[in-house]
Amino acid sequence: MELMTFRKLAFVFSTALALGITGAANSETLRVGMECTYAPFNYKTADGELAGYDVDVANGVAKIIGADLEFVCQEWDGMIPALLANKFDLIIASMSITEKRMKKIDFSGPYRFSTGRILGRKSKEMNLFDGMGNPIPENFKGLRVGLERATTYSNWFEEILPGADVVLYDGSEPLYLDLQNGRVDLIMTNPMKAHLKFLSKENGAGFEFKGPTVDEEKYFGIGVGIGMRKGGDPLKTRLNNALKELINSGELETYARKIFPFKLHKDEWGQ
Amino acid sequence: MSFDLHLIVESLPVMMMGLGITIKLLIISGVLGLVLAIFLLLMRISGKWYLNFPAQMYIYVFRGTPILVQIFIVYYGLPQFEVVRDSVFWPILREPTGCAILALSLNTGAYVSEILRGGVLGVSKGLLEAGSALGMSAYHKFVYITAPIATRLALPAYSNDVISLLKSTALASTITIADMTGIARTIVADTYAPYEIFISLAIVYLIFTFGIQKLFGLIERYLGRYTIREQPHE
Repeated sequence: MELMTFRKLAFVFSTALALGITGAANSETLRVGMECTYAPFNYKTADGELAGYDVDVANGVAKIIGADLEFVCQEWDGMIPALLANKFDLIIASMSITEKRMKKIDFSGPYRFSTGRILGRKSKEMNLFDGMGNPIPENFKGLRVGLERATTYSNWFEEILPGADVVLYDGSEPLYLDLQNGRVDLIMTNPMKAHLKFLSKENGAGFEFKGPTVDEEKYFGIGVGIGMRKGGDPLKTRLNNALKELINSGELETYARKIFPFKLHKDEWGQ
Repeated sequence: MSFDLHLIVESLPVMMMGLGITIKLLIISGVLGLVLAIFLLLMRISGKWYLNFPAQMYIYVFRGTPILVQIFIVYYGLPQFEVVRDSVFWPILREPTGCAILALSLNTGAYVSEILRGGVLGVSKGLLEAGSALGMSAYHKFVYITAPIATRLALPAYSNDVISLLKSTALASTITIADMTGIARTIVADTYAPYEIFISLAIVYLIFTFGIQKLFGLIERYLGRYTIREQPHE
């Protein structure tokens, strides 16, 4: 009996809070999974604070839907299994919306472009792409390419350039190390990230982009979105509305301009 | 969550493609580690401080740090020095397999040398005195009395170390090597089914370990064939 009344009370309280009458106190806490090492999109500052574009988006969305956030750091290759195992509720980790991933999880609308670009040593002349910007498979033969495991880049390489000698890494930082060390001839990663964290720094001085930006929708999806477990349609609608609000209010652009001199989304995503 | 048997059947053959690399890592680092261990052992029992002390330090450092850290130091740390990248060792250190074998050999060598020392210390003094009484030199005593008995004594503990080396080879997957664990991790990242894949991977390691246990059981029986016959007399 007592338990029943307690439960009823708790239920009344939680609904009252969830409705967010005042908007000040709120009981809904969403746990957000991200790598925490993928600068400038999600990373820890020297003070141990999480920062970056993904973190800003997460906070911006949470403010609009009125939820508290709890961040969970998770290695990339276990991101989707961890979401499915209920270790967190959302993935806001620069994850591209691809058909393959949509078989397992749901995505919000896009909030950032998803592209990839190949990097190599300046001193090495490589003729990797033709005039149309398409890769020339024969010229990739025998080249050692470093990629992060389970990324859009590795899927693209496996399908388009099976002749390349692909080496899989657990994180994005070792990629740059091994490119410098000469263990791999090429790496493929996010061009914005590569420019900011590597090419513009002293370590990256001897390196350059080889070929154009790749964004084939089949592999790179329509963009980067918020991942969630299937069946959470009310949440998905709220997230989508919040993202649109961020885009239309110009807030999303300010997140991008903290890091880059341009925005990272299309305005039409706000429609 | 349901258990997808079909997925296991499908991915087991793919994982077995990494078996060759796992075996290669195990055998090469096992043999190199054993050679290193014998050198360290000889230094330890030489009775000369300038040989004993460096060996002791070496064993302390390599037993006192995690094997994963050692692998990372060899793989990511060494190439930071230009000297290393220009040296004749670079073709080996450039390859992740070379780095893994180096780190695993250095590590297992430290452990095995202590196991062997335990065997040497277990040889009873009486036998060595008998050897001296027969006029055998120190060299002859070591080769004909100490070594065979110490080997037999050290074998059970050594088989333990070989099994532990087998499991350490899984760490090679952290430096891009596609051994069984590396392949399993890639499959998991593709299928999002960690449970099925890692369970099947664990079973493969168990079968492998069983084989090593059996092999050492046979060697033990062979080396101990004289002691078995003597038992009724005691």
